[in-house]
Amino acid sequence: MLRLLRRLLWLCGMLLGVSFATFAVVDLAPVDRAELAIARAAGDRAFADLDARERAILQLRAQFGMVDPVTLQPAPLGTRYLQWLGNAARLRFAGPNGDHDALWRRIAQAWPTTALLGGLALLLAFGVGVPLGARLGMAAGTAREGVASALLLAFAALPEFLVATLLLLAFGAAGLQWLPVSGLRSPDATTWPAWQQALDSARHLVLPVAVIGVGPLALVARFVRDAVARADRSPWVETMRALGAEPAVLRRRLRRHGALPAATLAGSLLPMLVGGSVVAENAFALDGLGHLAFTAASEQDQPLLLALVTLGAIATLLAFAFADWLHARLDRRAGAA
Amino acid sequence: MKPPRAPVRLLRAPSLWLALALVALGALAPVVANDAPLALRRDGAWSFPAFAELVGRAAVAPDGGGWRDWLALSRPDVVVWMPPVPHGPLATDAALAGVGPSKAHWLGCDELGRDLLARIVHGASALSSLAAPAVALALVVGALLGTWAGLRRGWFEACVLRLVELTACLPLLLFLMFAAAFLGDSATVARLALAALLWPSFARIARAEALALAQREFVRTARGLGVSEARLLFAHVLPQMKGPLATTAAFCVAAAVVAEATLAFLGLATGSASTSWGEMLRSGVERAALGEWRPWAAPAAALTLVVLACHRVAERFRDDPAR
Repeated sequence: MLRLLRRLLWLCGMLLGVSFATFAVVDLAPVDRAELAIARAAGDRAFADLDARERAILQLRAQFGMVDPVTLQPAPLGTRYLQWLGNAARLRFAGPNGDHDALWRRIAQAWPTTALLGGLALLLAFGVGVPLGARLGMAAGTAREGVASALLLAFAALPEFLVATLLLLAFGAAGLQWLPVSGLRSPDATTWPAWQQALDSARHLVLPVAVIGVGPLALVARFVRDAVARADRSPWVETMRALGAEPAVLRRRLRRHGALPAATLAGSLLPMLVGGSVVAENAFALDGLGHLAFTAASEQDQPLLLALVTLGAIATLLAFAFADWLHARLDRRAGAA
Repeated sequence: MKPPRAPVRLLRAPSLWLALALVALGALAPVVANDAPLALRRDGAWSFPAFAELVGRAAVAPDGGGWRDWLALSRPDVVVWMPPVPHGPLATDAALAGVGPSKAHWLGCDELGRDLLARIVHGASALSSLAAPAVALALVVGALLGTWAGLRRGWFEACVLRLVELTACLPLLLFLMFAAAFLGDSATVARLALAALLWPSFARIARAEALALAQREFVRTARGLGVSEARLLFAHVLPQMKGPLATTAAFCVAAAVVAEATLAFLGLATGSASTSWGEMLRSGVERAALGEWRPWAAPAAALTLVVLACHRVAERFRDDPAR
């Protein structure tokens, strides 16, 4: 119980650290939100003179909490951060006077796509990576395993956006046209029967999931391979062999031995999935969080960006905690430590 | 007790030499591919325009215009030595748009008539100007902090570990994207941001290694003999972790190059040189969809070569249980 409490406290501390680091980066930026907003709105209303424009900017700065509303002097970084934090704790990320509902709507619209892609990619990574890694680990040192591992390495090494464009070119309008390359469903899918809609969505998911999942897959397989190869050379396996254990029994034990440490990878794979989803969602025209983050960066939308990083950090921290818990559950030694 | 590792000899690995050669190619790009001459003798005086570019100065032709026009008016008293690839990465020529490989242009030209080979060579500067310095900084900071944390333990170790965990929550690509968008398109910012995100990988490895090494006889003996902490760190512990650190560094260089190319591909430039493989891929994709593969395939192959070379290095120094 105490350990759980300490862990929770620690999670909160980390969250503060991450959000402050991001806040500082965004805040140090030579981007003035007020100037930006004025520049965007300038098409709608022109200002009588420079003075009026200056006043409007000052007003906006006060509204955004960039300056003290009374003295109009720039507020110090700490004050602004605390103000932001206070709002964030109440899940109000859009700034002091922003439209919170609109921001949440954008996130709510985007997250299911990303969660679906990420979940399927994780499933692919572990579902294929663990058995593949176990097989490679048991064959470690042979020539065939060397070739297979080198191929795996090449897959892990390929940049995601290169894979994405290659798939786009291969399956897109100029290529084979076997699989759809944009969106999550066909435009007229709503009129189709349910099973056809499901099939349609599945067909749309193949390429993005492949792009996101191939890197984690190679990583998991490599990790499991090493763990199994190490176990294969350990005294207890030697002993089992000497006692005449069935190869099937040995294989099962070794696989379990390799799969256990892979559980800890689940946490560190999340940042990888984030990078992958930015690339895949942009390449295959999907409206997910990765695309939203890309939009936030290219439009320099500070509140949205801070919200996304904070939510991302919470997800990552939870994933780390979950991985630790899983590892402790699966491996008594880790739990005891 | 684990048996001691085979000694790591960094410079015996061909893959490392390949990777270093690619970094050198990026650093020396202005003298490898340039439309300005390496050496020029005019009116009895020598000048070295391409080398001027190497140290960050502009190589302007004597009449203030482009080199190609100036060199075309060749005069008998002028001696010109051209670089191996006598084309600049930015020199356009409408007459050469989209031409295939030839003797003058080994890889052909892109849709604006820019020499592809010259652009590939200059794109390698992402390695020398961004990835290598950033990873070197991260390596020094991370290895020192991590080793020190592993040897000293206590509150210092706790602080380093917390910082490491904190940075692990920031996805590399996302954070670089934001840094590029908000802190501006500056090479220094990009390098520092990369180093800030990469040092924890080194710190984590170095700490784990230091913890294991601290139990070994030679470290205990050195401690018993009263060797100073600094000497213990630099002379006894750090040299023992060359292998794991080289592996991590190789992975990090690959990650940095890929991240830079990805950002350039997405149209969010980082502080890299004017010519980037990611940017070439971005413009090449549209041509490739029309069936013109060369402008896309050339940077794709270059990027793949760099990443594979880095991974070969990593593989070479990895602690493979099967070996």
